[in-house]
Amino acid sequence: MNLHLQRLPSARPGMAFGARVAALVLALLTAAAVLAAAGFAPLDLAAQVLRSTFGSRFGLEDLGLLLTPLIYTGLAVAVGLRIGAWNIGAEGQFNIGAFCAAGVALFVPGPVWLLLPLMMVAGAMGGALWILVPTLARAYADVSELITTLLLNFVALLLVYFVATGPWLDPSGHALATTARLPVAVPEFWGIVHWGFPVAVALALLLAVVFAFSRWGYEVRISGSNPGAARYAGIPVTRHLIGVMLLSGALAGLGGMMEVAGTVGRLQGGISNNYGYLGIMVAVLARAAPLGVLASALLMAVILNGGIILQTQGLTTNTVLAVTGLILLFSAIGDELAHYRVIRRQEKG
Amino acid sequence: MRDEADIRQRLGLEPGTPPLVALRGIGKIFPGVIANADVDFEVLPGEIHALLGENGAGKSTLMNVLTGIYQPDSGEILVGGYAQSFAAPQDAIAAGIGMVHQHFKLVQAFTVAENVHLGWGDTPARISAADLEARTAALAATLNLAVKPGAVVADLSTGEQQRVEILRVLSRQARVLILDEPTAVLTPAEAQELFVALRGFVAQGNAVIFISHKLDEVLEIAGRITILRQGRKVATEWAEDCTERSLAQLMVGRDIVLSDLRGRPDGVAGPGAPVLRLEGVGLKGLLTGITLEVRAGEILGVAGVAGNGQRELCQVMTGLARPTEGRVLLEGVDLSTAGPGKVAAVGVGHIPEDRLASGVAPALSITDNAVLREYRAPPVSRGPWFLPRAALALAQQIAGVAEVAVPDFAMPVRNLSGGNQQRLVARREMRIARKVLVAAYPSRGLDVGAINTMMRYFTELRDQGVAVVLVSEELEELLNLSDRIAVLFHGRIMGVVEGAEADLDEIGLMMGGQSRNSQNGDSQNGAAA
Repeated sequence: MNLHLQRLPSARPGMAFGARVAALVLALLTAAAVLAAAGFAPLDLAAQVLRSTFGSRFGLEDLGLLLTPLIYTGLAVAVGLRIGAWNIGAEGQFNIGAFCAAGVALFVPGPVWLLLPLMMVAGAMGGALWILVPTLARAYADVSELITTLLLNFVALLLVYFVATGPWLDPSGHALATTARLPVAVPEFWGIVHWGFPVAVALALLLAVVFAFSRWGYEVRISGSNPGAARYAGIPVTRHLIGVMLLSGALAGLGGMMEVAGTVGRLQGGISNNYGYLGIMVAVLARAAPLGVLASALLMAVILNGGIILQTQGLTTNTVLAVTGLILLFSAIGDELAHYRVIRRQEKG
Repeated sequence: MRDEADIRQRLGLEPGTPPLVALRGIGKIFPGVIANADVDFEVLPGEIHALLGENGAGKSTLMNVLTGIYQPDSGEILVGGYAQSFAAPQDAIAAGIGMVHQHFKLVQAFTVAENVHLGWGDTPARISAADLEARTAALAATLNLAVKPGAVVADLSTGEQQRVEILRVLSRQARVLILDEPTAVLTPAEAQELFVALRGFVAQGNAVIFISHKLDEVLEIAGRITILRQGRKVATEWAEDCTERSLAQLMVGRDIVLSDLRGRPDGVAGPGAPVLRLEGVGLKGLLTGITLEVRAGEILGVAGVAGNGQRELCQVMTGLARPTEGRVLLEGVDLSTAGPGKVAAVGVGHIPEDRLASGVAPALSITDNAVLREYRAPPVSRGPWFLPRAALALAQQIAGVAEVAVPDFAMPVRNLSGGNQQRLVARREMRIARKVLVAAYPSRGLDVGAINTMMRYFTELRDQGVAVVLVSEELEELLNLSDRIAVLFHGRIMGVVEGAEADLDEIGLMMGGQSRNSQNGDSQNGAAA
């Protein structure tokens, strides 16, 4: 008897899902093995992470706060991927969204019911504006958005550091590197989890519906898959590319607004906390599906939350990055292997 | 046994000579498809054995089994009389079986010498570029293949690239060379050179398996011909006992008419009023002063060597390119700047030259691709909404008319065979081609059965009063179908001839750049003679 591998043109759904689960398990096992070799007790650590994340209401609320920005940035990257654009700049757009929203909150007087929508618009517009130049460069000069969006991240990050430690520094003198507490906050939804979370989930659902059931979604699908065929069918590919990339920036910017006005309450340097980069991971794991983003963002939030707990045990934050990297690596391998099936063949004679 | 002895005798071999390679009872099943069933196939030393079959008949699967890419579900492979199993392509190469694929697997940025030596155990670990090229030149000389060892592959013509591929296969001591549609990319002269090289190769006791759709070519080059249909072997025949007609019949299992299709059924009028008019159209020097009229119920053939402006002509006619000079008129309305969406909306269908690059989105579902032309209007969309269920219904309808069996409409369209993709695209375009259909190389890469279906589609449209523009490099196809034939050369129209009076030599001269006017008197005489 002889075992052979056979490649199928497309992975079967069951195999694809199984491969993902296996990848996750393998990544965690690898991490556990390394931790065990370093003298930690991985099972205890795992139990502790699970207990403190899911075992109490506080843990769940923390999870919600981590999950919210990951959904926004994950959706931002996923939307871009739909038309074949890699938005590596969600980090920067997130910062700018937070910056614009904080600017409105700090310097525009007005009632909360007016200010909150205004901040949302400002955050989204800020994010869109931040990706505008990379978008136009890609659309009209075929400049890779990969580099341009990435480079603008550093500009945005430094801009926020600058205003938070300089012109917008808390005048009360209590804080060293943040603005004053914003006079307007996103109302709470469940414990300390603010309304940014349900809005994010609603956006994911809305995007899922739009991509599957709208003409625009169909046109974007064709444009992303084969621009040549889209042009042939008279679909305005360039217009869709611009629209989708601006939407991507706006989603990340809105995430920044929710973070500054919901979770943190002040604008401070490093407010993005790598959410933009993690959003890439979230979107890739979700294969750019909006509903998949919800699941992969949850996974990433659990890992991040676990990281915070691991830090109390003397592990560095890099452990978390290593685990997320392992998950991505094993998932990529798993996705490829899901195309294969093992066949048995009877040898003759 | 008598037959076997007879075969060896006709090939001039000793009785009992084992075949270089034999496949016995090969079966291969993919989910939902029987790709091969119980196929026997053998190749003897010194023969060129053609493998013939429609798209999807199982030729590629059979060769993938033979080259170790697939493992058969049943049956066995004999090499030199001994059973072998190939777990990987390397095993097949080691056993002396090499394949040149239709799409070359060369590194474009490497030189010929580097490509030949890439991934080859005999390549010395450290060697200078000059030595590598010398080795390549020596190999090429022994195998009698003219290549330029120092040239970068990207700079070579298709014919030269093919020689590099063949050299690469033969340098690994292949005794059985498999060629997948080798002439599809060659000029007639290059094809003849290839044939000479192949005959030289088999004369040394090697063998060639020649996969092709072109019946005349198969009859010219092959000694024996094996025909596959629906995954099974139909027959193995001596080429001299076959005719194009008998082969076509064996391939499709029905009689094929390779003849004049210009005649209209009773009650259908001939060409009517002009529908599409090009007035002095130019495009960035690629097209110059094209003035052309296509009439309702007419098939206008466009002949010419590929690359003489056919692509640009199609783009201008379908709105994909804006002419830099002149105008494109559809029933008097200027469509020069309308764009592809508008042009399609007023009733111009387009079967594009490169299906995978512009006709379909290969990674998307069959449904998404089938509705590409009609998703804007009900029933597929209503207002801003796209209705997947209605899209599926339309896709099923198109697949039904195209006679394409689709197991799963959510499957990426690239999983369909080339012929089936083309049928779907053709049927999709015919639905919107109320006024004009522009078909560019619609039969390229298709087998006889699929080509005949295409031709039937075009006459059907013509009889409905649609103006059909058929761009093709197959003169026979153009002569069979076209009411008039326009000949392109360097972006200009050299002349337009009536299909019924068309003379191959005259068209050939125009394809080479002689305008109709300059040799008008001659052609009149030729037509009369």
